[in-house]
Amino acid sequence: MARWGMVIDQSKCVGCWTCAVGCKAINDEPLGYWWNRVLTTEPDSSAQVAAPATPAVDVPHGTYPNLELAYLPLACQHCNNAPCEKVCPVGATFRRDDGLILIDYERCIGCRYCVAACPYGVRIFNWGPAKREPNFVIGYGEEYRTGGRLVFEPVRPVGIVEKCTLCVERVDANEQPFCVDVCPVGARVFGDLDDPKSEVSVLVNDEGAEQLLAELGTNPNIFYLPSSHPNKVSD
Amino acid sequence: MVNSSVRTDLPTAPGLARSPWTWLLGVLVLLGLVAWVYELGHGLAATGMRDVVSWGMYIFTFAYLVGLSAGGLIVASSSEVFHIEALRPLARLGVLAAAVFSAAAGLMIIPDLGQPIRVLNLFIFPNWTSPLVWDVTIITIYFLFSILELWVMVRRPEKKATLTTLAFIGLPLAVLLHSITAIIFGLQMSRPWWNTALMAPIFVASAILSGTALIVLIAWILQRYNGLRIPAATWRWLAGLMVMALFVDLFFVASDYVTIAWDNIPKDRQVLDLILPGGPYQLTFWFEWVVGGVIPFVILASSKLRAKASNLALAAALILMGVYAFRIELVIPAFVNPLIQLPPGTSLGAVSTSGSFQLIGHYSPTWVEYLITLGLFALTALAISIGYRRLHLGRNIQEAAEHVAD
Repeated sequence: MARWGMVIDQSKCVGCWTCAVGCKAINDEPLGYWWNRVLTTEPDSSAQVAAPATPAVDVPHGTYPNLELAYLPLACQHCNNAPCEKVCPVGATFRRDDGLILIDYERCIGCRYCVAACPYGVRIFNWGPAKREPNFVIGYGEEYRTGGRLVFEPVRPVGIVEKCTLCVERVDANEQPFCVDVCPVGARVFGDLDDPKSEVSVLVNDEGAEQLLAELGTNPNIFYLPSSHPNKVSD
Repeated sequence: MVNSSVRTDLPTAPGLARSPWTWLLGVLVLLGLVAWVYELGHGLAATGMRDVVSWGMYIFTFAYLVGLSAGGLIVASSSEVFHIEALRPLARLGVLAAAVFSAAAGLMIIPDLGQPIRVLNLFIFPNWTSPLVWDVTIITIYFLFSILELWVMVRRPEKKATLTTLAFIGLPLAVLLHSITAIIFGLQMSRPWWNTALMAPIFVASAILSGTALIVLIAWILQRYNGLRIPAATWRWLAGLMVMALFVDLFFVASDYVTIAWDNIPKDRQVLDLILPGGPYQLTFWFEWVVGGVIPFVILASSKLRAKASNLALAAALILMGVYAFRIELVIPAFVNPLIQLPPGTSLGAVSTSGSFQLIGHYSPTWVEYLITLGLFALTALAISIGYRRLHLGRNIQEAAEHVAD
């Protein structure tokens, strides 16, 4: 059994939001919903500690000429020890054996305990009827079930929680998540963390890719190569 | 029936149906229902909650209602377990309050659900790692237990041994209820403000505090408007319970403040700065520490002031406000600054003129939330009024009071 994971190279990310917009398109995310966002941060700081320099995106930290700028693409971290899965009172959020954290749209009662429990703030609640412009299905377009459970449909019910599925329907068809495919600078690598020879495993084991908020012990399957990464590699 | 000697000199109040009080409560309940129907039609978009501050008035009111349900059972059980005769007159009233408020707490969750029609999933697919499932279980048990104890008290009062056994079960059950409700918050490492081992002790202390204050307020209303006479010894015990609980509660909260202030860990400190004087949520601080803290403490600590029942009622009312402020302070500020707080922020699940992202959480309840919450409070008051009449609690309080030495 594979354990799907991703390594995001912050030294390559240019903050263009293509992955975020691609995600919106393939998953039919309505206006105001972003499963995937590209946050402005500073290099090599713990995300938890970095105070935003300004509320604006793309603004570097520091004082001229010592300015620093980096991007943190953020979506569900698909934790192995997922707080959202543990708090879900009805088991609507579940972890598949291959590491994907998914939500059963037919079981979720909309209590939002998972939204409160997620340290990464990547869960999105359907507060009211969704608005879409243009108002037709443009993405994957069909409902998708795994183990009989409805984990994707283009128009989600009001009152349930949704989030990044790691493109479960594509992964099951031996494709990569859409954000990996559309990234114009190849900052995202997808693969099997249980295969020591896979590119993601090499980046994690040999190149020092790190988990976000690792100190919380959530043990995500998404890893980050810091923006200073190329300098650390000596050939 | 034991109550064969029906007293005829008891004050008579107008029937429930003719009382303006009942009508007022009825209208409020109705308005709450209308608001809920509106919310069902519009989704939770009708509330002030969004993806940054994703829990609001329903949840802090839920925690408050759970707390209110405690006092009753604690007062009732204490009279039995610790042989406090002075509290015996209020035993039935206490258990009635426990039953009504635990049911109300359960009901408060319903309008907070995005899919209220699926609420039974909690019983069909319980996930036992979730503190919410433990809480649903304990609230259900607590409610059924209160109903059972009330039934025995009213219908089988001669069964003294059964009543004693029930009292001995009731006390730990009340403590467990509050601990588990606290744990819903206390176990979440994603919210540093909640993630303290003190959460359960704070909840138990504030539950004893607000629950006792509620009993005091009801007892005073009965004495003032229904002509019941509550013995001075009963008032003394209630005042003592309140002042102790008030001290312990604020001591625990202060311990948390000191730990956070000294450690100065950014994400913890950020929350404290929201609450302390000068911060955007300072109103909850003033209500918790001054209106519902120092002022009632002075009233209750002064032997001269606490001798008057109306002063106790005032202290109780202030305490009830203070504890409500504490519930707000607990829930909302924990959401305002998420762990990962980087531009442009979290997407709101809605588009507005100010964009679809929020970096610093903002929450103000809408009229829908106010009306639904008010309607539920009115429903609990209505249930207590009806229970009080139907179970002839006035007569029982008066009879039991005669056995209490001033």
